Amino acid sequence: MNLETLLTELSNAAGISGREDRAAQIITDLFTQGEGVQWITDFSRDRLGNIILRKQGQGPHPPRLMLAAHLDEIGLIVSEIDQGFLRFSTVGGIDQRVLLGQEVIVHGRENLPGIIGAKPPHLQEPEEKNKAVKLQDLMIDLGLPEEKVRALVQIGDPVTFRRDCCALKNGLYTGKAMDDRAGVVAMVDCLRRLKDLHHQAEVAAVVTVQEELGVRGAFVSSYGLNPDLGIALDVTHGEMPGLTEYEAFKLGKGPVIVTGPQVHPQIFKTLKEAAEAANIKYQVEAEVTPRGTDAYALQIARAGVATGLVSIPLRYMHTAVETVSLKDLTETSRLLAEFIMRIDRAFVEGLKCY
Amino acid sequence: MKELIRKLTSISSPSGREEQVRAVIKEEIASSVDEIYEDKLGNLIAVKHGGKTKVLLAAHMDEIGIIVTDIDEQGFLRFGNVGGINPQRLVGQRARFTNGTIGVFGVEKLEENEKLTLSKLYLDIGARSAEEARQKVMVGSVATYYHEFCDLGDRIVAKALDDRIGCAILIEALKRVTKPQNDLYCTFTVQEEVGLRGARTAAFGIEPDYGIAIDVTGTGDTPEAERLAIKLGHGAAIKVKDNSLITHPKVKDLLTGLAVKNKIPYQFEVLPFGGTDSGAIHLTKEGVPSGVISIPCRYLHTPSEMVDMNDVEAAVRLAVAVMETKLD
Repeated sequence: MNLETLLTELSNAAGISGREDRAAQIITDLFTQGEGVQWITDFSRDRLGNIILRKQGQGPHPPRLMLAAHLDEIGLIVSEIDQGFLRFSTVGGIDQRVLLGQEVIVHGRENLPGIIGAKPPHLQEPEEKNKAVKLQDLMIDLGLPEEKVRALVQIGDPVTFRRDCCALKNGLYTGKAMDDRAGVVAMVDCLRRLKDLHHQAEVAAVVTVQEELGVRGAFVSSYGLNPDLGIALDVTHGEMPGLTEYEAFKLGKGPVIVTGPQVHPQIFKTLKEAAEAANIKYQVEAEVTPRGTDAYALQIARAGVATGLVSIPLRYMHTAVETVSLKDLTETSRLLAEFIMRIDRAFVEGLKCY
Repeated sequence: MKELIRKLTSISSPSGREEQVRAVIKEEIASSVDEIYEDKLGNLIAVKHGGKTKVLLAAHMDEIGIIVTDIDEQGFLRFGNVGGINPQRLVGQRARFTNGTIGVFGVEKLEENEKLTLSKLYLDIGARSAEEARQKVMVGSVATYYHEFCDLGDRIVAKALDDRIGCAILIEALKRVTKPQNDLYCTFTVQEEVGLRGARTAAFGIEPDYGIAIDVTGTGDTPEAERLAIKLGHGAAIKVKDNSLITHPKVKDLLTGLAVKNKIPYQFEVLPFGGTDSGAIHLTKEGVPSGVISIPCRYLHTPSEMVDMNDVEAAVRLAVAVMETKLD
């Protein structure tokens, strides 16, 4: 498996929250027909579409570790057909300022290319010039006559950005859905690493759905798996001019190990120890948006799950140019594998000793 | 059916105090179901057997209202909201408490009308003193809008059509269904308006294979309305998305297929706000594929909500079609 190829394919694949099908197919193929078959012992999907990749642990009572990285991306949804143009609503926290001038794909009866156009500057009223265009004034143009549009598109059809993943210099990759396909790639790479390792813990790596709408997939998958401990893998803000040091992290400087009320102190500590022992550079973030990742659902599943959170720095979150460093992905996967090697029954018992 | 709707909307049963409406519904459906029980939070669950697959159909019994927070020396009441009450809509309205006490909403002198908040409003029940007021109500007493049901022909107007119309549809569907193909758990839920609370515990207890809520949705067909591609009289709405749910593709396809097959008028709904019981149901335990049959409704959360009986009929037929279709 080539990580760069997987990241590119996943970032390009359509899969807004609730309609993750195409991205899910890539993971399904990898683990049911591809190389991934040898890395896991069991492949399944639950009723909401979460993909569960399991690998047995060693020993008599292996503790169960759930990993979670979300497959869904933010996007748009057709809300009205207006004289052949499409009005739309958002799925997830889209920055509406970046919508003007985007190329999109409308997933109707067939995949239809479209664009989000705007009133030309020449024809704008003076008071319009300095204002952002409101979402309800934006429209998708498919270039088709109204009757054709009505034949091919229905209200509720998903819309994704049309944006090919692109390699920048210095190992940086930019695409429309790095949040959180980058986390998915790191999790998949971790499973690859575990192939030749003898670990005590049973690993249930869950590619979750509907995270962007309130961590919905993680709620039901963590209930179903009832793990002893969990790690969510997501993205955090990458440094750029205009952001302070404590709210943004350096690209290429390693995974971000998160601490805060939802992270179990022992897991935080063990993640750091694992990184240090394996010479993995890492950064530390104090969590400020406690409901923003799958860790939220994991922590409060059933009677409670000791949870950790590892994030990959990403620039321009929730735009079509989300940017990550491939090196951070491989280091994150290495960190996870090192962490998993430290998990045994005694570690899980110790989680109750504060 | 209009008589049933009139009866259901005439009751004052805000979230948490659904006992009066529950009693009426129980009596209505008792002879149409195999089993009927209440759970610990007060959800009314009516079971009709028909197959292996468990289908939870949910309509909420509660309505929005107010709760008394203080009684002042002159006998005026201050109150908080139970569910989504807009202060602008209360001025000049009447309220009725669950014990029948009537009050009118008054407003303090305001500098700017825009700044109207609930704290500037009070309720006058005609009492001359705190003592007199306390003979009728106390802190914690709850009330709803007090407004009459009106029959305008095809269209009807009433308070609490959200979601007594859903209750009426579910009752009517239970009466009409002749060959149920699934185990039907028709659930009249409590406390939807305060965060889908009843549906959450009902679904946990029932462990359904599918969830379908029957509830109202907004429309965009009135003068200068917010854009929304839902029109009164254009059929039952099949929800695709709201703030609480993305309808499971399987359920969306099921509802759409049944509407087409049975020539039931329908429209798709993408609602940029709001939520229904299916929001709670689909996240229950290991997940429950869920959807919503919506009834287009104008003037939501006002004392004069309006629906079209043709849409109501479409929703009943769609609900019956689900009941009579064998699901895996």
